[in-house]
Amino acid sequence: MPPKSSSGKEKDLTDEDDVLQAVILADSFNKRFKPLTVGKPRCLLPVCNATLLDWTFESLALAGVQEIFVICRSYPELVKAAIRDSKWSKPTHGLKIVPIITSKETFTPGDAMRDIYTRGIITSDFVLVQGDLVSNVRIDEVVRLHKERRRTNKDVIMTMVVKESGTVHRTRSLGESAVFVLDAQTSECLHYESVTGYPHKKVAQIPREIFQDHPEVEVRYDLIDCGIDVCSVEVPSLFQDNFDYGDIRRDFVHGVLTSDLLMKNIHCYVLKEGYAARVADTRSYDAVSKDILARWTFPLVPDDNHPGGHSYEHLRGNKYIAKGNSVSLSRTCKVGPNTLIGAGTTVSANASIHASVIGRNCTISENVILKNVYVFDGTVVGEGSVIEESIVGENVRIGKGSRIDRGCLVGDGVVLGVNARLGPFDRVSKRKEVGGGEESDEDGDGDEDEEGEDSELEDVEALQKDVSVMIGEGSNAIVWPQGPREDDEDFDEVERYNNQRLMRLGDNCSDLGADDDDYADYDSDSDSDNESTTSMGSNAHSIASSTTSYTDPSAAIHQLQEAAANTEFQFEVQQSLERAFAEGHSVDNAAVELKTLRMASNVELRKVREAVVKAIVEKIAVREEGGAAQRAEIAKVVKRWGALIDKIGGVDAVETVEVLQYHCAQSSRLPLFGQILAALYQDDIVEEDDIRAWHITAAAKGETLKEGTTLAENVKRCWAVGAKMIEQFDEQESSEEEEEEEKPAASKGAPKKDDEDGESEEEDGSEADGDSDDDDGDDGAAPLKAAASGQTPAAPKTVAKAKEPSEEDDSDSDDSEDEDNGHDPPVSASTSKASAPATAIPAPPSATAPAKKSEEGESSEEESGDEEESGEEDESGDEEEGSEEEEEEETRAVPTPVKQPPAATVPPAATPAAPVVAPTAAAAQREDTSSEGEDEEDDDDDDEEDSDEDEEDEPGPGSTTKDSKQPPPPPPPPPGPAVPSSSTAKPPPAPKAESSEEEEESEDEDDEDEEEKTGEGTKTQTATTASVPVVPAVSTSATAQPAVPVEAKTSLDPVTESESEEDESGSGEEGDEEEESGSDDDEDEEEDEEEEDSKPTSASQPQPRDVNASKETITPVAPAAAAAKSKTSRTPSVIVSSSEPSGSGSSDVYATTSGSEEDDAEDDDDEKAEGATLSASQPKPDTLGSSVGSSRGSSTYTNETFTSRHTEDTKDTDGKSKVSSILDDIPRTTVKG
Amino acid sequence: MSTVDIATTPSGSQRSVETLVSKLRRRQVVGSRDAALETVLVLRQVVSKARFSNIDQLVAIIRSVGRRLVDAQPKEHSVGNTVRKVLHHIREEYNTASKGTAASSSKVTYTISNFVLQGQPRKQTVAPKSEAIITLKENDPDDPDSFSRALKPVLMEAIQDVLDELETVYDNVSKNAKDHIHSDEIILTIGHSRTVESFLKQAAHYRSYTVIVAETGPSYKGHEMAQSLSAAGISTFLVPDSSIYAIMSRVNKVIIGAHAILANGGMFAITGSLLAATAARVHSTPVVVCAGQFKFTPLWNLYHDFGALDFADPSSVLGFEEGSLVDNVDVLNPYYDYVGPELVDVFITNDGDHPPSSVYRLIKESYDDDDHEL
Repeated sequence: MPPKSSSGKEKDLTDEDDVLQAVILADSFNKRFKPLTVGKPRCLLPVCNATLLDWTFESLALAGVQEIFVICRSYPELVKAAIRDSKWSKPTHGLKIVPIITSKETFTPGDAMRDIYTRGIITSDFVLVQGDLVSNVRIDEVVRLHKERRRTNKDVIMTMVVKESGTVHRTRSLGESAVFVLDAQTSECLHYESVTGYPHKKVAQIPREIFQDHPEVEVRYDLIDCGIDVCSVEVPSLFQDNFDYGDIRRDFVHGVLTSDLLMKNIHCYVLKEGYAARVADTRSYDAVSKDILARWTFPLVPDDNHPGGHSYEHLRGNKYIAKGNSVSLSRTCKVGPNTLIGAGTTVSANASIHASVIGRNCTISENVILKNVYVFDGTVVGEGSVIEESIVGENVRIGKGSRIDRGCLVGDGVVLGVNARLGPFDRVSKRKEVGGGEESDEDGDGDEDEEGEDSELEDVEALQKDVSVMIGEGSNAIVWPQGPREDDEDFDEVERYNNQRLMRLGDNCSDLGADDDDYADYDSDSDSDNESTTSMGSNAHSIASSTTSYTDPSAAIHQLQEAAANTEFQFEVQQSLERAFAEGHSVDNAAVELKTLRMASNVELRKVREAVVKAIVEKIAVREEGGAAQRAEIAKVVKRWGALIDKIGGVDAVETVEVLQYHCAQSSRLPLFGQILAALYQDDIVEEDDIRAWHITAAAKGETLKEGTTLAENVKRCWAVGAKMIEQFDEQESSEEEEEEEKPAASKGAPKKDDEDGESEEEDGSEADGDSDDDDGDDGAAPLKAAASGQTPAAPKTVAKAKEPSEEDDSDSDDSEDEDNGHDPPVSASTSKASAPATAIPAPPSATAPAKKSEEGESSEEESGDEEESGEEDESGDEEEGSEEEEEEETRAVPTPVKQPPAATVPPAATPAAPVVAPTAAAAQREDTSSEGEDEEDDDDDDEEDSDEDEEDEPGPGSTTKDSKQPPPPPPPPPGPAVPSSSTAKPPPAPKAESSEEEEESEDEDDEDEEEKTGEGTKTQTATTASVPVVPAVSTSATAQPAVPVEAKTSLDPVTESESEEDESGSGEEGDEEEESGSDDDEDEEEDEEEEDSKPTSASQPQPRDVNASKETITPVAPAAAAAKSKTSRTPSVIVSSSEPSGSGSSDVYATTSGSEEDDAEDDDDEKAEGATLSASQPKPDTLGSSVGSSRGSSTYTNETFTSRHTEDTKDTDGKSKVSSILDDIPRTTVKG
Repeated sequence: MSTVDIATTPSGSQRSVETLVSKLRRRQVVGSRDAALETVLVLRQVVSKARFSNIDQLVAIIRSVGRRLVDAQPKEHSVGNTVRKVLHHIREEYNTASKGTAASSSKVTYTISNFVLQGQPRKQTVAPKSEAIITLKENDPDDPDSFSRALKPVLMEAIQDVLDELETVYDNVSKNAKDHIHSDEIILTIGHSRTVESFLKQAAHYRSYTVIVAETGPSYKGHEMAQSLSAAGISTFLVPDSSIYAIMSRVNKVIIGAHAILANGGMFAITGSLLAATAARVHSTPVVVCAGQFKFTPLWNLYHDFGALDFADPSSVLGFEEGSLVDNVDVLNPYYDYVGPELVDVFITNDGDHPPSSVYRLIKESYDDDDHEL
C-alpha cells in the first residue's frame, strides 16, 4: 500500500504541475455600458483607475494561473494592445496571456465556448471567468477541490464559485440573480434557476427527485454569482454538442442540471471568505468600485496591490490620493470619504468630491460638486458643475455650470457646452465625425458590433432635435433615447428594459410598482426565519385563492410570465419542424432536436406538444376533394410524423387529443379534427381510453372557455366529434366484446358476473336513476370502447412501459372499462354491459387481475342491487369477506353513483339499492355529497380527504382488515361527466366548492380520477384482489392514479357498514367533516397527517390511505403550480410559492420540511407528510395533462405497495415536485429528509 | 545612488524577485520574520548570480532589488531592513577584504559629531571572517569577473550570517527570559507573536507564572496564543479585549510583540497593543516588547502616516452578507496600532535589552546611513 499511495501522490503532484489554464471571456455580449463602450471594449473600462482586464488578470494571477486565453470579440486590437502593453505580458510575471480573437458571429458566451472547443486550446481543467471579474479569492483552492472531486467522479464537470451575501446587497444584482439548490453535504448544485428582477420571479421550481436523492438540501437565494467557473475539459465540447447553449448559467448550467441525458454534475463552491464579484452592469460597477474603496477586496486595494500598478496613499476615511505629489488639491477643496483621485489630477478651490473616483490627469474646476461620480482619465469638469451618480468617460469636457443628474453615462470624448442639463439616465456619446482620424482607427477594428452601433447611432442622431438645451452650445454630443426599445420584447428576459433598470446606476426603480413592494417585503421579512414562515403561511392562503381564480388548465400563470419566451419557442419549434419536414429527417432526429430545444428554452412539455401537434396539423394539406383523398393525406402525414408526438419527452395521449382539439378549434383545419383524431387512433398514438378520458375532461368540453366565443364553439364542436367517435367505439366494443368474452378463459366467469352486475345495475339504474340514464345517453358516446376491445391491450402496452405497472394498468384499464360499462349499461341492454365487462376482462394482459375479478365476480354475483362498478369493487373485497363486502359494496354503490358523473342524481337511486346507505334520500345525498365531496373536495382540498382519512382511522382499528379487503374505494366519478354532475347535482359539495372551484374541480376531478384509478389499482393489488373500479376511462390505462379520498371513505364506510347504520352516520360525518376539514387550514391537515402517521391502526390501512393521500396531494399541487412543465405536468409537484399568491406553495415547503424532519426515520412517513401537506395546501389536482411521468410514477407505486406496503416512498419517484420558495423571504432553507 | 537597470540583474534571480514581489503584493507572505527570511533568500540568489566587477555595481544591484521589494509592500518593514542589513554586511566584508590594513570604517576621526553619528563600535561586530587575505582586483578589464569571483564566497558568508540571525532570533530573544519574568507574576500579552510565545515558554522552564491573553479582536489571534501557552503548561487566561483595563491593576508586566520598531522608539504592533500599553501606563505597569533586531526600522515619522496602519478588509468586523449595512457603514479594520516610545519601557532583542531612547543608535549601528533610502 505505501508504495502505491506514494506513487499516487507523485501522480498527484505531477497533475498539479500541469499548467493551470484560464479562459477570460473578455466580451460582455450585451450593451449595458453603452455608450461608454463605444470605441472600446468593456473589459478596458477602468474600475478604480485600473482596467477590468487588469483586475481580472490580477485575480487569476492570485490563483496561480499560468496560462490565460482572452477571448475577445469587439475591438480585439485594443484588447491585444492592452495586453501587450500591460505588466502582465512581461516574461518575469510567469503569465502566458494569449489573446484569441473570435469571430464577429460570436454573440453569446456559448458561441465563445464553441470557438474555444474548435481551437482545441484547452488541455486540462481550466478556470473560466468573465472579463469583468474583481476577486481576491484563492481560486487555486477551488481548482484543487474540483480536481479532487474529479478523481472520484468523472461526471463532475464544473465548479461554480458563489459568494454569500444577503438577499439585499449592493453588489448583488437584482436583475440577474439565481436560486441555487445545493446539497448541503457535498455542495453539489442540484438545481439552478435564474431569477429576473422584473418581472419579479416569485416561484422557483425544484424537481422532486432532488428531495428524494439528497437528504439535506439547501435552497439559497443569497448568493452572488462570481462568474468564476472551474471547468473540466469536456465543458467546451458540451457547448459544441448543444448548439443552443447561449448563456453559461441560464442555458448551460440549467441545461446540464435538467438534462436526463448528460448525467453530469456541477458543484458550487460557496465562498466564506474573500471577495469576488462581476462588473456586469453600471450598478455593479458602482457597487464594486465602492467595495474596492471600502477595502473588501483587500489586498487588492488601491494603496496596496493596485492592478494597474499605480500607487495611492491611503488617507483617513478611505481616501486614496495618488502618490508622488502629482495631485494638486486646493486648500479649500473638500475630498470626502471613499474617494480615489488619480495621478496628475487637479482639484480646484471649493470643489467638493464625495464617494467618487477621479481618473488621472483630470481637472476639477472651482465649485464643482461630484457625488458618486466615476470620472475617467483626462476629463475636465467646468466650473460650478454638479454631477451625481454618473459615469463620465475619458477626455470629456463638461462646460461651466452644467448639471448632470443621476444615472447618466457620458461617453468618451464628449464635449458638453455651458450650462448643459442632462436629466436622469441620459446617455450621451460623441457625434460621429465623418472621416475623423480617431474614428478611422476604430473603423479599422470595426466589427458588426460597431456597425450595429453605427446604425444605432444613426437612429439616435435621427432623434436629435432640441437637445441643444440639454447638452449646451457647442457640444459634439448626441443624446441616446431613453425608455425601452421598440424591440424590447425580442430580448432575453434579462436584457429587457425594465429588468435592465435594476442594473442601472442610480436607479432606485421606485416606479417599478409591484416589484418594489416585493423588495420591501423581503427587506422586512429577511429579518428572521419566523417572520418568513409566517409570511409564507399567509401566502398559503393567498395562493389558494389564486388557484381558485385561475381558470385555464394549461398553465395560465406561466403563459403570462413567459408569453414572450413561449412565442419564441413556438417559433423555433415550428422552424425546426419545418426543416425536418422539408429535409425528411427521421422522427428520432427531429425528436432529439425538439428535446434540446425544449431544454434550452426550459419550456413545459405541453408547449412542445402543442407546437408539434400544431406543426403536424398545419402540415396536412387541405384537399378540396375531401373524403378519401383528405383521409389519405392525413394518414400519410400522421403515419410519417405522428410518432413524433410521443417522442418529444412524454406520452400523454389525453393531452395530445386536447391539444389537437384546441389547435383545430383555432385553425382552419377544424373540419379535419375528427379525421386526424381517427388517424392518430389508427396509428396507436391515441388509444380509445385516451379519447374517453379526454372526452370527459372539462377542457375538452370547453367549459373553461368563455361561452359564446368562437373558440369555445369550435372546441365544443370538436368535442361532439369525439363523442361520436366514442359512440362508435362503444358499438364496436359491444360487438367485439361478445367475441372476446370467450377469449380469456380465466376471465370468463368475471365477465358473466359483470354482466349480471351490470344488469342488476341497470335495473337499479332504471329504478332509481332516470338521470343516470340520460347521462349515460350523453356519455353513451363516450363509452365507445368497442374499438378499444381490439386495442385495449395496446393501451396497456403504452401505459405499461414500466412492466411493473402492468397489473395496475390492467386494473386501471379494467376499471375504466368497467366504469364505462357502468355508464353504458343503464341505457343499453344487458348485452352492451356484458360486452363492456368482457372487454375489461380481456384487457388486462396480466392474468392476475382478471382472475381475481372473476373470483370476485362470482362471489358478488349474488348481489343484485349493486352496480357493476360496485360489484366489481365488491368483488375484490368479496374474496376476503363476502357478506361484509356486499354491504360495503352497497355502500360503495352509493358513492359510486355519485361519483359517476353522468348521474349525480343517480346515486340516490343507487342508495336504495344499498340497504345500508339507503335510509333516506338526504342521507344518500349526504353520502353522495360526501363521496362527491371527497372527490371534489379532494380536488379542492386535500385536507378534507385527510380529515376523512383521519376519521376513518379513528374508527379504524377494526376496519383495517376491511380496508385491505375493500381495496377499491368507490370508483371515482368519471372525471368528465363528474364535473357537470357535480356542478348540477351536487348541492352538498357546493358549500365547499365555489363556482370557480367547480371548474377547477372538474379538472381536478380528472386528475383525481386518474389518481383514484391508480390508487384502486394499488389497492387491489395490495388486497390481492383485482378490483375493477368503475372509474370511467378518465385516464389512459397507463396513468393510474390513486383516488385517495374515495378510498378513505370507502374504507371507513365498510368498517362502519358492518354496522349498517354506522355507515350512514359515518358517511354523514365524513361529509360534515369533509366540509369542516375543507374549511380547515393547511395546518390542520398537516396535523391530521401526522396523526395518521402516528396512529396505531394496522399497517395495511394507514398505508393505503397514506398512499392515496400522498398521491392526491401531489397531483393537486401540480395544477396549482400551473407552471408545471411538460414533465411535471402530471407528476406531482410540491410548490413552494414565493411571496404573492403562491403562498400555499411556501407553506407546503415548510410543511414538508417539518414533516420530513419529524419523520426522518421513516421515509414513508416523510412522503406521506409531504404529500399530505402538499395536498392540503393545494387543492387543485392536475389537469389530465402528462401521461408518461405520472404513469410511471403510478406504476411504481403500485408495485411497491404491492410488494411492500411499507415503502410508499416511491410515489414521488418520477414526479417532479415543484418547490417554489419564497425567494425573497427565505434566503436559505435547509430541508432535511 | 547609481541606479542599475533591472535588465542587468540576472534573469534567473529576476524571476525569483518578481515572485517575491507579487507574493508580497498579494499578501501571500505575511509576518515580519517570514518576509525577512524570504528577502534574504532572494538576495542570496541575486548575489550569487549577479555579475559585477566592483562593489558599487553590486550594491546598486542589491539596492534596486530591495527597492522593488520595498515598493511591493512598504508596510512590511522587515523587507527593507533585511536589505539594509545585507548591504551593511557586504560592505563590511568588502572593506575588510579589500583593505585589511586600513579598514575604512574604523578609520574615524574622533570628533563629537562622529561619535554621535556612528555610535560606539559594537562589540559584537562580526569579526572579519576572511583570515586569508583575498586579493581583490576591481574593474579588471581583462577579467571582469575576477572581482566577483573572489568576493562572492565572502558575500555568501555575510548573507548567511543574516540568515542565521533570523533563524535564531527567537532563541536569542528569549535566552534571558528568566531574568525578566519572576515567579508568581501575572503577565498580560496580546495577539500572537511568536517571539513573545517563545519568550514566555522559555521563562516557563524556570518560573511558574500566569499569563493573561487578550483575545485580540478582530483577528482573535489571542486564541491561538492562549492555546499554545496552555499547551506548554503555562497557566493561561483568555480575556476579552474590553477587560484589559479592568485587570491591569493586577498585572505585573505587559509583554507584547512588535511588527516594526521605529527609530524614535515607537513601534507598530498588532491592534489592541495601544490599548494595553496605555492601560499599563495608567497603572504604571511595565511594558516589555520582545522583538528581533530585524524589526528595527530607520524611519521616524510613520505615526503621521495613517495608511501605515495597514487597513485590512472589513469582513472580519462586518460580514459581507450584511448587505444593508455594507452600503451604509464604513468599517476601518487596521492591522496595527502605533505605540509611541513613551508607552514602552524596554525592548528585549536578540542583541540585548534597550530602552526606546537608544533604538536609534542600534539602527545606526545596524545599517549604513546611505541605505536609509533605498
